Amino acid sequence: MAHYLVTVDGREYDIEIEYQQLRYEVVINGEQAIVQAYDLDETRRLLLIDDFSHEVDIRSNCLGNSRMVFMQGRDIQLDVEDFSLAQLRKTAGISSGPAIESVLKAPMPGLVLEVKVSPGDRIKKGQPLIIIEAMKMENVIKAPADVVITEIPAKVGDSVEKGDALVEFEV
Amino acid sequence: MSQKIKKILIANRGEIAIRIVRACRDLKIKSVAVFSDTDRTAFHVRLADQAYHIGPSPSSESYLVHDKIIDAAKRSGADAIHPGYGFLAENAAFAQRCEDEGIIFIGPKPETITLLGDKLQAREAAMKAGLPVVPGATIEQDDLASAAAEAEKVGYPILIKAAAGGGGKGMRVVETPDEFAEGLQRASSEAKNAFGDGRVFIERYLKRPRHIEIQILCDRHGHYLHLGERECSIQRRHQKVIEEAPSPVMTPELRERMGAAAVSIARQTGYIGAGTCEFMVSRDLEFFFLEVNTRLQVEHPVTELVTGLDLVREQIAIAEDRPLSFRQEDVVMKGHAIECRIYAEDPQNGFVPSTGRLTNYRIPAGPGVRVDSGVVTSNEIPIYYDPMIAKLCTWGQNREEAIDRMKRALREYRVSGVETTIGFHQTIMDNVKFTAGDLSTSFLAEEYPDNDYTRINDYLARSAAIAAALDKFSRERKIASLTDQEASKWKVVHRKAHLRGMGGTD
Repeated sequence: MAHYLVTVDGREYDIEIEYQQLRYEVVINGEQAIVQAYDLDETRRLLLIDDFSHEVDIRSNCLGNSRMVFMQGRDIQLDVEDFSLAQLRKTAGISSGPAIESVLKAPMPGLVLEVKVSPGDRIKKGQPLIIIEAMKMENVIKAPADVVITEIPAKVGDSVEKGDALVEFEV
Repeated sequence: MSQKIKKILIANRGEIAIRIVRACRDLKIKSVAVFSDTDRTAFHVRLADQAYHIGPSPSSESYLVHDKIIDAAKRSGADAIHPGYGFLAENAAFAQRCEDEGIIFIGPKPETITLLGDKLQAREAAMKAGLPVVPGATIEQDDLASAAAEAEKVGYPILIKAAAGGGGKGMRVVETPDEFAEGLQRASSEAKNAFGDGRVFIERYLKRPRHIEIQILCDRHGHYLHLGERECSIQRRHQKVIEEAPSPVMTPELRERMGAAAVSIARQTGYIGAGTCEFMVSRDLEFFFLEVNTRLQVEHPVTELVTGLDLVREQIAIAEDRPLSFRQEDVVMKGHAIECRIYAEDPQNGFVPSTGRLTNYRIPAGPGVRVDSGVVTSNEIPIYYDPMIAKLCTWGQNREEAIDRMKRALREYRVSGVETTIGFHQTIMDNVKFTAGDLSTSFLAEEYPDNDYTRINDYLARSAAIAAALDKFSRERKIASLTDQEASKWKVVHRKAHLRGMGGTD
């Protein structure tokens, strides 16, 4: 048996799962549900939850606890944690939101048009850091929080790939 | 003298190239595709009658190179070129080159493209034709002080626009005078990058306007018709994402006035072919001329769905010098059509383009559904071009039915391998302001200020929670969910174990 805490769109679900020959017995917030699951390909599954049909696409490129589920034409973002770990985390008073990384990475491939900050700068959340041209549009990359710039690997005129480090900072 | 076109080269890629191949096949005209390195096995290449390689993947080295397109046209023996939209569609020099080479360019005359492509000249033409225009001014960009003074005269908020612009590029809203210098520089540099022309002008920025456009169709025999309107108010960064026809606020009287205005600028400029006259419409339904697009629009299918016409077929007939086969009074809009542009973009990540291989791709079908898709399973979504992969359109007897069918179709659509805007559209279809027809070009910014399109109901949240928990569970325990075959194997194993237990000898 496994016990999870799932957070989705501000709602919490306490979910216990047991695998019983061909099907899963699920208890979700105290209610029982029987689920049959069939893999369609690497990311897609057909679920019959109490005989209700759901074709779901679970994006597996998400790291750690976060999942992106596509179903009924909707994108749904969730966090799945081990229930006991979630309890520990809650007593420690840590929020489940993703920690702000100290490196700002290129969200898309493009050309660095302008660098608006220098190492040592104190930057307010939302202030522009760097401008990247991609698909002929200028995209302003803004500070995700109040930060202090430590290093700037990106230079004007650089062609960057998705995920390349642009600006490093301390929160 | 009319001249029957026998073979058309399509100077484009993706869904619009396929749209034109289909029209050609219906008309028994041969079609010729062109393709860059990355598009070698693209869907448009597979569907066309012939295909010519025209160079490396960047469009500046392939789809935009006049010589290569003309060369492919000559080698294939094509007697006409259809430019689609984007790329060379509004390039007067290319249209002229076709004319010089004796190839029919399916579009307006080069001088019309030049005139209407320059927003300043187009504005003048509109005023001459008696169309209302938004208050605005040309500015001396080198003289910041006088430019700022002009901006004050027009009145804030203002919109800085590229003279050579289109598609939202080189466009900036400036709310207050102290943001003017920055906005001017940004708009100008973006315009220079996108169009090689940094000239900009300014206009009063209307609060919460609607974008409504009129489709026009003009032959070489002096017939100027309009095919009614499309409302394209749902925009992101000045790019249309959802379009519909008719507009929820249209009245027969307003349609007649806007249609007459569009026809009068067409007449004024001697327009030939299919085109679109765009208007901004204020909250009290006052309309202002915006621009004329001298090409087939992305959103032309919604007009086709409500009028029953085939716009590409009409374009070809006009290029063959034939007079239009119907009159204004024959054009009737029936029912309601909506288009959702499906982009390979990640709505959870600021709509950045999402590239990769389509490991799975299933398009919706059924009554009232039309999909113009540029891709099929296993296609690569390249970084070089516009990330729109398909246009999903639905038709209904009324707007409500068209929306319901759109929801049904979005639910059937499945794309694996890249992120898409399908979920974004489903969210909009559920928005009460959208379903009430309360639209404006600031709709998305006002309704979704945090770019959060993931609000869902309890039932969906609960089902998704189960799906996600099961995913973690089976990954951790490596329980593959079962195929039927495996299931029957399990049954055999189970039965054996059971029998063994029964006959236990120990």
